[in-house]
Amino acid sequence: MQNKLVAACQKYLAIFKIQIINSAAYPLDLATRSITMILFMYIFASLWDATYRAMGQTAIAGLSLRDTLWYLMIAETIVLSKPRLAHTIAESVKDGSIAYLLNKPYNFLLYHFSVAFGDGTLRLVFNAIIGGAMVWLMVGPPPDMIGVPFVLVAIAFAWLLDCAFTALVGLTAFITEDVAAFDWIYSKLVLILGGTLIPLDFFPAWLREIVTALPFAYTVYAPARFFVAPDLARFAMLIAGQLVWLAILALILLFVFQRGVTRLTINGG
Amino acid sequence: MQRELTFLIALWKANLLAAMEYRAAFISQVIGMMLNNAVYFIFWIIFFERFQQVRGWSLGDMFFLFGVVAASFGAGVYLFGNVLDLANVIANGRLDYYLALPRPVLLHVLASRSISSGLGDFTYGVLSFVIARQFSPDIIARFVLGVILATIVFVAFLILVESLAFWIGNAALLSQQASNALVTFSLYPITLFEGNARLILFTLIPAAFIGAVPAEFIRSFSWTTLAQLLIAAFGLLALALIVFRRGLRRYESGSAIQVQM
Repeated sequence: MQNKLVAACQKYLAIFKIQIINSAAYPLDLATRSITMILFMYIFASLWDATYRAMGQTAIAGLSLRDTLWYLMIAETIVLSKPRLAHTIAESVKDGSIAYLLNKPYNFLLYHFSVAFGDGTLRLVFNAIIGGAMVWLMVGPPPDMIGVPFVLVAIAFAWLLDCAFTALVGLTAFITEDVAAFDWIYSKLVLILGGTLIPLDFFPAWLREIVTALPFAYTVYAPARFFVAPDLARFAMLIAGQLVWLAILALILLFVFQRGVTRLTINGG
Repeated sequence: MQRELTFLIALWKANLLAAMEYRAAFISQVIGMMLNNAVYFIFWIIFFERFQQVRGWSLGDMFFLFGVVAASFGAGVYLFGNVLDLANVIANGRLDYYLALPRPVLLHVLASRSISSGLGDFTYGVLSFVIARQFSPDIIARFVLGVILATIVFVAFLILVESLAFWIGNAALLSQQASNALVTFSLYPITLFEGNARLILFTLIPAAFIGAVPAEFIRSFSWTTLAQLLIAAFGLLALALIVFRRGLRRYESGSAIQVQM
């Protein structure tokens, strides 16, 4: 039983590694994509600098300008580096290539998750280095470097949550012609309710109570917020929340996937 | 001119008929994009709920800004959808098809595709303007003119950047980053940016001319703002046409003439 589990893990780890090697073959592409990171961090720095000055306060909702910019750097790194799984899965359903993956000796969803993690990892490194350097130059070092290894674990779980959500969006291709609209709306929910554009601490109290309990907050806000105020109790709460939502989404995903596969009809091949 | 207009209308009609073949996808893209923009705008509602004003901009100004940017972006990508793909068309030799036909090449390439979601952006832009509740005839006229001029700036800028493919080959990623930068910067109050950054937004990445300047023109008429918009729109368009024509002289491909479906 244990051997089987190790063998399965090794299989997906191998897929992950191959995808990293693939991404590393295009360093210029990775660097060009990081321009978006520079763009967003510059805009956020201008916006929040103007806002803090206008308010005449050193801290808003417990966050200083330095905290806010480091928070946004981590939030943007998570979002800009994450893979676009919905499109990939939807295309494989629509063009029938799902049939070639279903009969391979791996799980269709875990295969895509491994590829997605492999795709995103180098982008994450590039974005974190470029975004981190920018913010460091603008407002100084992060509040506490001790959070770095913990935040990496939280980002891994955040990406798993995101993969589960985007896989669900992609699988709607079993019943709809086009999944783009669902994908746009999901990404905007992550932007707003996940706290990518604005820390959830700045929301009105009644709204903050609601959105911090939603899964979107665990994909962006919770890891980024932990980074600027790391402590073990917060980390434990963060991981617990991520695991609970991951379990719920995994169940829904498995149900939708099984239903989809049973109604799959592909001609030719 | 009359001939080109008839040709354009025929292309747009054909694009609409093609989109209607997949009616559910078309409608979901239009409504989905409207919802997408609406969800994004919640950020500004929350922001101004807490901070009221930033450098002279309030929520009311943002409705105008989003109105003009969304409507002009939407009109641009719906009416001239290939403007987002021109670099690929050039790099992959797909211009051959258009060159073989007795129609204006650039116009034909650009209008051969309509991006359905653009109609959602356009509708959202109009709704954003309506929500701003400024219904006097002169403001409506200025909104229409502002959107037309901003659309010209948007399309011309993309033609210019994507035409780099004639010289550097694969310019798709570069043009994608440039269009991202253009749209992203245009959606923020211009007063946030100072010095060199502001200069760039009025020149190299002319985001000010699809966002802040037309929004200002819609809010209150001034000859200076109108002149700025006209010069930016027609100056950039002239430059884009010159660069595209120069580039076309360098164009070569492996004879990729094929039937366009």
